[in-house]
Amino acid sequence: MAFNYDYYLRTDKMPTLWCWGCGDGIIMKAMIRAFAKLGWDKNDICIVSGIGCSGRFSSYIDANTVHTTHGRTVAYATGIKLMHPDKHVIVVAGDGDGLAIGGNHTIHGCRRNIDLNFVLINNFIYGLTNSQVSPTTPKGAWSVTTQYGNIDPTFDACELAIGAGATFVARESVAQAQKLERIFVKAFQHKGFSFVDVHSNCHVNFGRKNKMAQAKKNMDWIEGNLIPKAKWDKLSPEEQYKLKQEGKFPRGIIHHKEEPEYCEEYYKLIDRVRGK
Amino acid sequence: MALNPELFKLKAPENTPVWVDESKCKSCDLCVEFCPTGVLTMVPDPHNILGQMVKVVHPEYCIGCRECELECPDFAIFVAERSEYKFKKLNEVKKLKGEK
Repeated sequence: MAFNYDYYLRTDKMPTLWCWGCGDGIIMKAMIRAFAKLGWDKNDICIVSGIGCSGRFSSYIDANTVHTTHGRTVAYATGIKLMHPDKHVIVVAGDGDGLAIGGNHTIHGCRRNIDLNFVLINNFIYGLTNSQVSPTTPKGAWSVTTQYGNIDPTFDACELAIGAGATFVARESVAQAQKLERIFVKAFQHKGFSFVDVHSNCHVNFGRKNKMAQAKKNMDWIEGNLIPKAKWDKLSPEEQYKLKQEGKFPRGIIHHKEEPEYCEEYYKLIDRVRGK
Repeated sequence: MALNPELFKLKAPENTPVWVDESKCKSCDLCVEFCPTGVLTMVPDPHNILGQMVKVVHPEYCIGCRECELECPDFAIFVAERSEYKFKKLNEVKKLKGEK
């Protein structure tokens, strides 16, 4: 007996359109195993995805799926969640979708603390449109629009989410799929906005011109940039700042607290105004 | 409402620890790179896009860590459950390789 993924998949659309070795497939598998672990029926799940390679998630997972406009994933998901508070709404967005064009929506989703599960697939480049510079591209990296090396400082997505008020923030990479699955289980169980920053590989568009053209080579580079949370906490703020300038980030569950959830507060307000 | 756990079980071929669905494989090399004991390898295959295809060459060395299955992005490789196949202990493989 092996694990069978077919219950949550549209098997007639297989094989996937992604490149060979793409991290998106690994994230999708980890997500499906997390669904199976939690025992969620596929009629209770809603996948909302935007534009980009991550947009294919809504095509392959056999649940209620919405393929939305560029960057407006959280806006659509907020509407779905408010109408159906008992459903599990999962937002899948890339780094361009969730941080660049949809950064504003992400911030306000975090601020409201609505019960969405935001999975940010961070592959450091705009992969679908052939490697333009993205907000998370590391300093000095080659892309089509930064041909002499990128000079923009790197975006720390988890700090943004904590600052905006998300109540569950975690970071993990695709090279450790079992850890990723455990983080997904915890994030999906959390009541409130959960933000998971998954560092993924794009060896075809990002790796090719940055000397890591194989999937494993790109994953090793990602692994080298992540430091466990326990080790990170022992460092002084100056050392942490210095490491962040070098593009190194903590991994694991970074922030976790309980706050009032938006849908509950909203329905309480309706009851109060109606005088019940 | 809990789901039937039988939904997530895929029957393994007889006496096989790891097997590949070649119609889904894109020969990305990740399973070969992640396997700690050298069970898998890439063989030339002119009918595939990248000119190679994954092959199970040493099934007797499989330790059942499921790393290849977890890291496969294309749902192409599967590993049997620990109760169904007698997997090698990692120490024995190390002894064979002459490591300590």
